[in-house]
Amino acid sequence: MLGEFLHILAAATISWILFVTVDILFRLPEAGGVSGASAVARDIEAGGGALAGGTMMGNIVCSPDASAGTLLAACGVYVAGIPGGLAAALMVFVGNRICHDPGYAGTTGAVLATFVVYAFTLVGFAATDFIAGMVIAILTIQGLSHTHASRLLDRLWRIRQ
Amino acid sequence: MIALYLVAAIAVFAAVRVVIEQKTGRKLPYANVMNFAVAGTIVLLLDHPLSLVAAAAYFVGSTLEANAVASTYAGGMKR
Repeated sequence: MLGEFLHILAAATISWILFVTVDILFRLPEAGGVSGASAVARDIEAGGGALAGGTMMGNIVCSPDASAGTLLAACGVYVAGIPGGLAAALMVFVGNRICHDPGYAGTTGAVLATFVVYAFTLVGFAATDFIAGMVIAILTIQGLSHTHASRLLDRLWRIRQ
Repeated sequence: MIALYLVAAIAVFAAVRVVIEQKTGRKLPYANVMNFAVAGTIVLLLDHPLSLVAAAAYFVGSTLEANAVASTYAGGMKR
């Protein structure tokens, strides 16, 4: 039981690094993809957060990004292995187009996550660890403190620049 | 088994925060966490290949809704 819990925590850390890296490489903190993303960013900034971090959080809300890609890829690997993960990547791609998002962060994240999750299933992890891990990872960004999360993302975005 | 309970608990936690939060723009990230957790719960509960399609459909649909709410909140489309 403790082992599974530790696996979930490790999976959360890996998922966090994966999706934040892909999102920042794809310049999500730079500008809101749709007007709604900028509105979310403004409210987060008004609450004491940082604008660039808030913009990335707004973009995560408004279109499936690498975090959604990681979650659905883990779900896909859980139900059908690598083909399942790639099917999830296809669905994320369709989801991006439905949400009027011109970017490829979600699709790239899903394809990368498919292989990462599959590699970890070979060394004793379960794909379910990554499903729970990704939910914990997104909780730390979007669900605990918008102020602190946006400042952290802003700091990472400055390093990228 | 822990994964399922953990994800379901996070969904409830996020739902409570959506209700407590006052500003619409700040409600949406909490709702986003809830959507992640519910999509994960769907796959963890239903051990079937099609549960992936159900989770993806739920997730993309709910993201589109969040997108629509946020864009309306931002003042809608400028014509």
